[in-house]
Amino acid sequence: MNPLARNEPGKTILAMGNDAIVRGGLEAGLGYFSTYPGTPASEIGEGFTALKQQFPHIHTEFSVNEHVAAHGAQGASWANVRSMVTMKHVGMNVASEVLHFAAYSGVRAGFVVVVGSDPGATSSTSEQDDRWYSLHTHLPILEPATIQEAKDFTIKAFELSEKYNLPVILNAPSKLCHNIGSLTLGSLPREVQKKGHFERNPTRYINLFGGSVANHRRAMESIDALEKDIPLVSLNREAPGTGKTGFISSSINYLYLMEALALLGIVDAPVLKMGITHPLNVKEISGFAGGLERIIIVEELEGFLEYQIKQLLYDTGIRTAIKGKQIFPRYGELDVDIIADVLSRELGLPLPEKMERALTISETLTTGIPPRQGAFCIGCPHRATLYSIVKATDRKVIFAGDIGCYTLSCLPPFRAFDWVTCMNCGVGIAQGMLQKIEGEKVIAYVGDSTFFHSGIPNVINAVQQHADLVLVILDNKWVAMTGHQPSPTTDVSIHGEKMNPVDIKGLLKSIGVKYIRSIDPFNIKASIAAVRDALRQEEGVRVIIAEQECALQFARRIKITPPEYTVFYQIERGRCQLCNECYVDLGCPAIRKDFNDDGHFYYIEETACLRCGACKDLCPNGAIVRTEIKLHPGTSRETEKVS
Amino acid sequence: MIRYDILICGIGGQGAISLGTILKLAAIHEGLTVVGAERRGGAQREGVVTSNVRYLGLEEGEPFDERKMAVSGLIPAAGADMMISMEPLEALRHVRYLNENSTVIINDFPLIPVSVRIGDSSYPDREEIYSRIRQVTRHVHIHNIEEISKSRFNSLKQVNTLSLGIAYAVGNMPLSGESILATVKDQFPDFGKNKAAFSLGIEIGNSAAEGNAAPTP
Repeated sequence: MNPLARNEPGKTILAMGNDAIVRGGLEAGLGYFSTYPGTPASEIGEGFTALKQQFPHIHTEFSVNEHVAAHGAQGASWANVRSMVTMKHVGMNVASEVLHFAAYSGVRAGFVVVVGSDPGATSSTSEQDDRWYSLHTHLPILEPATIQEAKDFTIKAFELSEKYNLPVILNAPSKLCHNIGSLTLGSLPREVQKKGHFERNPTRYINLFGGSVANHRRAMESIDALEKDIPLVSLNREAPGTGKTGFISSSINYLYLMEALALLGIVDAPVLKMGITHPLNVKEISGFAGGLERIIIVEELEGFLEYQIKQLLYDTGIRTAIKGKQIFPRYGELDVDIIADVLSRELGLPLPEKMERALTISETLTTGIPPRQGAFCIGCPHRATLYSIVKATDRKVIFAGDIGCYTLSCLPPFRAFDWVTCMNCGVGIAQGMLQKIEGEKVIAYVGDSTFFHSGIPNVINAVQQHADLVLVILDNKWVAMTGHQPSPTTDVSIHGEKMNPVDIKGLLKSIGVKYIRSIDPFNIKASIAAVRDALRQEEGVRVIIAEQECALQFARRIKITPPEYTVFYQIERGRCQLCNECYVDLGCPAIRKDFNDDGHFYYIEETACLRCGACKDLCPNGAIVRTEIKLHPGTSRETEKVS
Repeated sequence: MIRYDILICGIGGQGAISLGTILKLAAIHEGLTVVGAERRGGAQREGVVTSNVRYLGLEEGEPFDERKMAVSGLIPAAGADMMISMEPLEALRHVRYLNENSTVIINDFPLIPVSVRIGDSSYPDREEIYSRIRQVTRHVHIHNIEEISKSRFNSLKQVNTLSLGIAYAVGNMPLSGESILATVKDQFPDFGKNKAAFSLGIEIGNSAAEGNAAPTP
């Protein structure tokens, strides 16, 4: 049984921070869930999907984008059903228009917005500090520190949302989303509300004429009411101490801070742990600050707490010295090491000897070791597509990059990628640039899910403005990078269930694209020819759809439904000229190098190979051999043909 | 207070994350509290992956003290009581988390990074890697766990349980073998084989002399 579905209050299970948020939703009686997947918050959507059988009343969807997802959750709230929308931090840029209005128009049932942030940007193109949105949208923001708080604060967020008539944001950085540990369960609601009901509320829902001003005022009043009640909300707490230097922190940084203080031997410092970081209560902050000589604020990324605290204390006349971003970096992740180091310098205390030693010696010991960057998975159709694009262009075109697994084409061996910013930056930037450059060709990339997210308006614009570019849609049928959520082009689920895919070709035709070709990426020669042909046509938007299912999903599928034939690829050493086309230029990790008395040779590691066949198709020496074996029902295997 | 921190490192797809999950589930079986974040690279494959496993618990009668019990998801520098590395280079890459008392288990099975494959850099000599790690701690245990799994079980599926057995034998994890086995039974198919692999791991761990340098063939 899925441990998240257990109704055993007090039981401790192993859960990821994201799972804890799912469980919080269940315990709060959630009825509607929407998301656009994005690391680090993707597993929340997967969590609800996995619980569909046990909780059939919860509508769960992977929406087309965050804007749609947020609107959907607002609609459910207005139908008096508790709703949650989740996204990664940059998704907030897309959803923010909806969420501004959600603050103005208010909620009916609790509406919680979960934002997975990514300090350090380990899986994002930006590490923007999303907490600032709360100052602009007037949405309260909670910052849980632990897996347990991720669940408990989620429930609290629903209560606050209803009490103060505002959507509430729950911010979870990647190191909380992906923290896996003990979670103690609460109880599930005895009854769930299956259906909602809409009631007209024109004074809140119609933002016209005087209504928008009145709603602006109401949003301000709501946040003011919450501000006054903060001490009653009990999301903040103080670890008391007699020290004259106090600390304020929130989120996972609180735990880093406590560990750093212990390492530095500081046992008497008062520490204020903020669970709600907007709005702040003036009495609480001034009560903590009064009597202290100095306050050090420890927060990841920018000085969101510091900005508010300094502003708030200014009005009270308290002038306790405050240090925050003066001493801590405003970018990148924090951890115990960074905080201990900064505090040791600031407070004039030595670092523990073993830590000091580890930091010094490790730098020497790791000098010159090779970096390890990501690569396409074995059997990935994008690898084959990129190989063909590089061969067809010799990199002598502008490569308009975008967000998806194919972003890896910026790395060796391909290096065929000139920019990546936000979703649909490929066609979007290229079609404007093309109005002002001459004699240069552009290939833009987009994945299927990114295309549907916000690419269609860009392509329409490119067509309307006569931008001359080749658009390669890398359609692998899934939102692969975030863990294989369905995309609008998913045609068959992993268990063989037929889906309802969007007809990309029909869509492109209807918006005026005249040149549309499909390629099978593993058919390298045909793919190279197709890219060359598309580049040769000089006018308009030419679309190549590189259509092949994500290799990981393909591998899962054949485990469930084994094919009739099994295939093997082998390198014939006698014919291999060691030309490196497969080993370096394609760079498939299943092709390995080994040594014998005659020098080095290449072979295909059978247990790793996914049988995509790209290497055979590109081998200029015909040295790669394909063997097909028919699998009979049962265990017997018989060689059928060798080609 | 009970505190024990394990850092698991490897490459995406090697099972570092699932090894961490077993060690965490075993802790819950044991009645300990456990936390620990994962660091996953941006990519599905070939990227660096680490899993932090941090155990904590109160001794009998010990009062709760938030200043001691606040434990983050990441092990600080020099903080790892144990490191299990699924790959030699990755053990060296994460050497900052070790101290002179750390126990290190390394799977002597190099995986070549793309940067080496395309000739931009070279993979350091393995003996050089191990001697650098030994400058920090003497308690280094090196075994070709892939090879052992292949030769003894005709499969790579026992790498994780073999590693668990070695770790259990050479370290001081606050876990009983029973809790580990109960978790293995719950999480992996083919319990008989995995139980045998766990026992073999313990045997290998016990028989290897402290600081054993010779990689198993």
